[in-house]
Amino acid sequence: MSAVQAPPAASGSRGEQLRRRLLRSRELLVSYGLALALLIAFAVATPGGWEPQRILTILGQNAQLGIAAIGQTVVLLSGGLDLSIGPVMNLASVVSSAQMRGQDGNIAQGIAVAIAAGGLVGLVNGLLVSRAKIPPLLATLAVGTIVQGGYYVYTEGQPKGGVAPGLQSAADAKVLGSIVPWWLVLWIAVWIVVAFLLYRTTWGRRFYAAGASPRAAWLSGVAVSRYVVGAYVLSGICAAIAGIALTAYTGSPSVSGADSYTLQTVAAAVIGGVAFSGGIGRLAGAFAGVAVLVFLTTILETLNVDSAVQYVVQGAVLIGMMLVNRRLIGRGSGSAGR
Amino acid sequence: MSALATSRRSSPLGTTTLAGLKPALFITLVSIVAVVIAAIVSEPFRSPTNVESLLFQMAPLLLVAAGQAIVITTAGIDLSVGSMMSLATVLAAASSSSAGAVVAIVVAVGLLGGLGNGIGVVSGVNPLVMTLGTMAIFRGVALLVLGQPGGVVPADLLTPLTTVFGHVPLTFLLALGGVAILWLASAETRWGRALFAVGGDEAHARRARLPVRRTLLIAYSLSGLFAALAGLALVARIYSGDPNVGDPFALDSITAALIGGIAVTGGRGSVLAVIPAVLLLALTDNLLNLAGVFSYWQYIAKGVILILTLAAYHAAGRPTGLLTMARGGWRKRGGAA
Repeated sequence: MSAVQAPPAASGSRGEQLRRRLLRSRELLVSYGLALALLIAFAVATPGGWEPQRILTILGQNAQLGIAAIGQTVVLLSGGLDLSIGPVMNLASVVSSAQMRGQDGNIAQGIAVAIAAGGLVGLVNGLLVSRAKIPPLLATLAVGTIVQGGYYVYTEGQPKGGVAPGLQSAADAKVLGSIVPWWLVLWIAVWIVVAFLLYRTTWGRRFYAAGASPRAAWLSGVAVSRYVVGAYVLSGICAAIAGIALTAYTGSPSVSGADSYTLQTVAAAVIGGVAFSGGIGRLAGAFAGVAVLVFLTTILETLNVDSAVQYVVQGAVLIGMMLVNRRLIGRGSGSAGR
Repeated sequence: MSALATSRRSSPLGTTTLAGLKPALFITLVSIVAVVIAAIVSEPFRSPTNVESLLFQMAPLLLVAAGQAIVITTAGIDLSVGSMMSLATVLAAASSSSAGAVVAIVVAVGLLGGLGNGIGVVSGVNPLVMTLGTMAIFRGVALLVLGQPGGVVPADLLTPLTTVFGHVPLTFLLALGGVAILWLASAETRWGRALFAVGGDEAHARRARLPVRRTLLIAYSLSGLFAALAGLALVARIYSGDPNVGDPFALDSITAALIGGIAVTGGRGSVLAVIPAVLLLALTDNLLNLAGVFSYWQYIAKGVILILTLAAYHAAGRPTGLLTMARGGWRKRGGAA
């Protein structure tokens, strides 16, 4: 898989190094393997399933889940949990539409305000978790509920304004010989920015250290709480971008359209091998997790499977993946993915 | 019991049982003060019909929150209770059999579903993910049983469920009884002692040769059972089955348990504290309704209450407080793995 690169090393130990790297990323291999298996099943089960354009379109349509899952992954890596993602996505939808009022000229303003709002919610989450020492589950749950109440009261259930037509057409537009959807590019762009931050900067190094063992990181002079706040702010911003992407895709603002995303992002991260204990897992895992969820849903929908059965299958896959990951992390060196 | 311990006893209950009530004192006082203020300020609040509807509203949340409290005491969480409640309502409305058969089916499904959660958690799946998965599964099964809200609840089941003594509904009394039973079970029995030990530190409990697996299995089974019973209590309010009606109860039950001072880290708290916590939540909803405020203010009120209670526990410096830990409660189990 692309996520596993052999490091430039002495020729004698290269095979050994590669082997070790592969072993370390076992849970990544499993999640990408499952995604690949589902992709093949999708291709076989549906007519014209092998067309790359169709696969890319499906991924592009679910970019909002992918972007939101990146934020959730970062928070999980910090040892936390963000249950305010759905509400923040709805908030971004409501706020950006109210700013845009259906005018192309106001797109930048709408996006800026939505991202600022998402970052602000993330900041509140982060401060409640790191300063007020409220457990992440409760802090983000409470903040999410307040945000939800806030936009319901503000809109009275009827979102104001509208999506700018320019943004709407961007959601359908494609680049590179009109094959790759813009929203897929957006997803990958967000992924690259966050991956650079996590894997190529000292900030990222310290972030992983703080997530894996806050005490040890603190003793080594890492200002742990700053990294925790950073994780939630990042998640809030990702959720805001995801909310705008969803609104542009559906074409109208909604106060409840993103409700299911909170738990879906958790599922995507978990299927991608991110552990709840913090510091274990990689950003690339979330991509595989989203792909698994998306292909699974598409296969079941194309096969006309009852939505009730879809729920059962999704739940079973989630539990099964967790059992597999648990075995993988439990065995061996235990430093999986670090 | 040694002679010393027995001589200190002034009540039939164990000393630890009474000590466990201390953390509940604060929330009890707050809820009593709130009720008194509400009764003085609001004329419609005092009306018997309003009291009756308030009690009807409290019954399902009491049951489901008590089960949730048991699971949180193990340092776990049960997100599947909402779907289990929905499943119970559709089972009651779709199977046109006698009341006895319906109750037997609902109880069996609740116990089995909870046991499934327990088996997953015991085999090392994170409780949040495990119950997230079963939440989807229970919802799917509920939709298979009854695709749309509706169905017919057997009359011989509906009659006892909607019985009211004066203005006190039977379901409310049964719910209170259920909470009391869970409280006594967690405070007085050998299983209860193991429950707190497992929640406090699972690794230590294992080293002390406590039956960790069995304790967890029973805890999750009870949560499933009480969620199913809460579903029946909900039938008394909606008179039908609805595959989505339980959804908000997953988060409401967690909120109630935590406001009641059950530590999210596990091992601390008293199930009985769920009663004032549920009262406080129901009261807020009720007052906002009576005031004719736009209903979504309730969301804001709930969130603010949760944060304020947590801050108050923190300020009181109680170790029960949910605040001694900066990070997720499941970290302990995941880390020990």
